Amino acid sequence: MFFRRSLPLFVCFVFGVAMIVQAYVPTKMSQDLLEGLSNWVIIISSFAVGLGVVSLCRLHWGKMRRLQPGWGFSVVTYVGLIGTLVIGVLDGGDLSKARFGWIYWHLLFPLQATMFSILAFYVASAAFRAFRARSFEATLLLLAASVVILGRLPVMEKLWDGAGLTTKWIPLKDFVGWIMKQPNLAAQRAITFGLTLGVIATSLKIIFGIERAYLGSKE
Amino acid sequence: MLEFLVKLDRRLIYLAIGIAALVPLLFPFGLPVQPTPEVQGVYDKMDSLPPRSVLLLTMDFDPASAPELTPMAKAALRQAMRKNLRVIGLTLWQTGLGIMDGAFREIAEETKREEGKDWVVLPYVPGQAALVLKLGQDFKGAYPQDIRDKSTADMEVLKGVESLKNIDFQVEIAAGVPGIGSWLVYGSQKCNYPMAAGATSVGTPEWYPYLQSKQIVGLMGGMRGAAEYEQIIDTPLKSRLAQKGLDALTVTSCLIILLVVVGNITYFMSKKSGK
Repeated sequence: MFFRRSLPLFVCFVFGVAMIVQAYVPTKMSQDLLEGLSNWVIIISSFAVGLGVVSLCRLHWGKMRRLQPGWGFSVVTYVGLIGTLVIGVLDGGDLSKARFGWIYWHLLFPLQATMFSILAFYVASAAFRAFRARSFEATLLLLAASVVILGRLPVMEKLWDGAGLTTKWIPLKDFVGWIMKQPNLAAQRAITFGLTLGVIATSLKIIFGIERAYLGSKE
Repeated sequence: MLEFLVKLDRRLIYLAIGIAALVPLLFPFGLPVQPTPEVQGVYDKMDSLPPRSVLLLTMDFDPASAPELTPMAKAALRQAMRKNLRVIGLTLWQTGLGIMDGAFREIAEETKREEGKDWVVLPYVPGQAALVLKLGQDFKGAYPQDIRDKSTADMEVLKGVESLKNIDFQVEIAAGVPGIGSWLVYGSQKCNYPMAAGATSVGTPEWYPYLQSKQIVGLMGGMRGAAEYEQIIDTPLKSRLAQKGLDALTVTSCLIILLVVVGNITYFMSKKSGK
């Protein structure tokens, strides 16, 4: 119980309070503490990468052992992980080397770019089926989004200029800029304030041991 | 007709989007863009730096966002190397290292800049925000070697760079977290140096409050922002990656707006007819 609950809570409290105090104390000791703790976070982060790999391997090993539906994907994961690791170590992690560079530029790069590109197709389909002017707020959002999307296109700037709206009113980029710098900015700032207050509240709850979810499911 | 639209096969939409993206890439029409003050701000700040000033170019994105963000990184790099600035490249994203190294090598070759003297690419180090904090204290301690395992201790490009306090300007291009927020809070604001940002189109609106408060001096948004930057620095036409992408973006955006309009007409007609 001491190692599972009391010690982590104590460590969390001490270092949480220390970091808050440190931010307001501009002495050398305070700076040294910050540097020391930053080093520790970097070291722990490195171990977290290793822990992630172990966890991934255990998960997929279990799927392969039980021949769960889709176990073939787990084989692909293992081959990809071990293959990249072995070649990466052999090439010293140098992306300019032929083998490791090939994995990066001809496997990882197109795979990630393809996954992200697929979004365009889903967005288009969703735009047709879900982006409806069902209420006043939805209509407002729809109009603002359409103006910003179209207003960023050079062809629309040409049409706007051609219609004489730049001379009669304002350039299209200024109109779109107004939406971004006034209503958007106000909403973003409100969201940021809300989020930040939430982060402060949650941090205090963690530091003082009220929020204990990070200790594991039994807590 | 209404029946057809209500039951429109989504594969037809996918096909239309595919064609709308592909055709402009094959037959670009390259309309010029009008630079916005946000992008002009990035250019003006970098233009005001004297030669051999230290620019920190951070590219916090992976291959998924590379088509959108690499053009603006290359444009910023091109301006910096043309101006003979000392450029330090680093990333908080492990899978972004290859993109960054490729961009640095390409632009350095084009502008005849020497690695180690004029530019350096630093390896991936885990830690995210903690790494930024560490850089604010001891830059070379966090990066004792560059990406090619050469010692950074006596590297000319890093001469006088003991911490982030010695950075003259940072351009941070990011697709998510860790990214602009991490550098803004733990880097630029803490160590008091100017910073500009570049983000994906969907991520850009988040950073306007920081532009207004002048915590960032400029902001490049997505493909459009990159195309503006390419135009401002007079990038050779064949190297204008964002301009080419913007053509495809123009046609697909128009198609999406058309789909929204048709979708809404279908919705109201269905509602009226009680279907």
